[in-house]
Amino acid sequence: MTDLMIEARDVTKAFGDVRALDGVSIEVPRGTVLGLLGHNGAGKTTLVNVLTTLLPPDSGTARVAGFDVVGQAHDVRSRIGLTGQFAAVDEQLSGTDNLVLIARLLGASPREARQRAGELLELFDLADAAKRPSRTYSGGMRRRLDLAAGLVGRPDVIFLDEPTTGLDPSSRLSMWEIVESLVSDGTTVLLTTQYLDEADRLADSITVLSEGRVVASGTSAELKAQVGQRSVTVTLAAAADLPKAQRSLELAGLHPVLDAERNTLTAPVTASRELAVVVRALDEVGLEASELALGEPTLDDVYLTLAANKAA
Amino acid sequence: MTTTLAQTPAPTATTTWRGSGFGTQVLVLTQRSLRAVVSDPRMVVFSVLQPLIMLTLFSQIFSSIANTPGFPQGVAYIDFLMPAILVNTAMQSALQAGVGLVTDMKNGVLARFRSLPIRLSSVLIARSLSDLVRTAFQLLVMITFAVLIFGFSPAGGFFGVVAALALALVVGWGLGWVFLAIAAWLRNAELMQTVGFLAIFPLMFASSAYVPITGLPGWLQAIANVNPLTHAVDAARGLALAQPVTGAVAAIVTSLVIAAVGGAFAVKGFRKPL
Repeated sequence: MTDLMIEARDVTKAFGDVRALDGVSIEVPRGTVLGLLGHNGAGKTTLVNVLTTLLPPDSGTARVAGFDVVGQAHDVRSRIGLTGQFAAVDEQLSGTDNLVLIARLLGASPREARQRAGELLELFDLADAAKRPSRTYSGGMRRRLDLAAGLVGRPDVIFLDEPTTGLDPSSRLSMWEIVESLVSDGTTVLLTTQYLDEADRLADSITVLSEGRVVASGTSAELKAQVGQRSVTVTLAAAADLPKAQRSLELAGLHPVLDAERNTLTAPVTASRELAVVVRALDEVGLEASELALGEPTLDDVYLTLAANKAA
Repeated sequence: MTTTLAQTPAPTATTTWRGSGFGTQVLVLTQRSLRAVVSDPRMVVFSVLQPLIMLTLFSQIFSSIANTPGFPQGVAYIDFLMPAILVNTAMQSALQAGVGLVTDMKNGVLARFRSLPIRLSSVLIARSLSDLVRTAFQLLVMITFAVLIFGFSPAGGFFGVVAALALALVVGWGLGWVFLAIAAWLRNAELMQTVGFLAIFPLMFASSAYVPITGLPGWLQAIANVNPLTHAVDAARGLALAQPVTGAVAAIVTSLVIAAVGGAFAVKGFRKPL
């Protein structure tokens, strides 16, 4: 018996001419967290929609909790929880009513449904607001209610589509704690995010999507080794000097990417002493940066590095 | 919250729910839509207020029509008007079924329903049923007002009014499925409102609803004669006024056919991924 709770093989999905998913394969073992990292439009939500049976794939196969997402959609649906990017709660209903509704639809009796709703509201710190219509909730409360709604049926696999986008730092932290406690209970989680730090904290392994393809996958440490720890951003006063500066940095062995709108060049670096390399390279061609910044690795850096690695 | 979480025992796998029956799904989802209406009293007030204003305006503005030639003898204008208002309100209400569906699609609630082990048609049926209950409530309030304030007392008496009410509900319910179908394909609330308004408004006036057909200009008479609404209004009016009713069965059959066709398209459109 295989213990893969999520298994996608060569999944493709096109919307018109746009190949949202272009041969994506992923595997998530039971009780682990896969972080799906990518920009808007990278295909994260499309993949989640395929895996949660909302969208049929054009080709390829996907199994969740051992069931085929196309042929056994009903079995998949009774074993998953979904929390979307936009909190999918009924604003007219109270917190309790929202959860009771889901529980009843899943097959709970009215008494069981009320009991389960009470448990979850307590767990998610929403007991005081249980009777209020959810339209009066704050963004963080709504997101917690949405996650609670995804957990009503005690799912084996949970899909979290950008669960912290738009949340304030403290709500973000409490969301992370909730996810961590779920995983410690043995739940399998697929989490999409645009933030490397989120994937870093929560995910056992990370898959990076770009334009519908898997461009990298591995543990957080493995990816960071590929990415380099930091990146340098050079801002120039005159846009006309950007190409010249770019060439000089390339000669110095860096892989700068030009952003003409912001008059900047950004290059991944492995150590902070490479700042000196940048300054020297610019100096050699008679340019001076109006601003020089050393940044922590971001998703952009992952992309930049991967693009640079491909070019090299 | 961290401490609460840490102390919470692992979820016990003793109860595993693998989906509810179709009847439960429809019941629970219908309750949900109705609760949403009741929980916001402003919605209830406004949903009744608008048709009441129409009732007041039309009964006052057009009341002198009762004195014109061609108007049925010995019938008060309110008794002539009320059945048409019932049908009209039921139609406006039908539009709301579609708008409600689009709203659910937009705010993500439907995406959640789609990820649950339920039959999607139950969502549509629930929407249609809750709309039927809401419309019935609206019409009852209007009839009460019409009786108490405007002296609505048609020759058909209590049973005539109940029959007219039932007919209006069937017509509105049938049309509701058309708007659910449009909603499932268009998926846009503003567009829905516009399409619905453009469809309903001319139909209402190019019909026997407010004046006898003979009082309309010739070209409008031609339209009114083939307008299905004329037949629905005539049937409701016939029932309320205890006149020989010709179109009631036809109106009900037509509504059922419309509901069946609309329902088929609605389910088909609804199955399309979001």
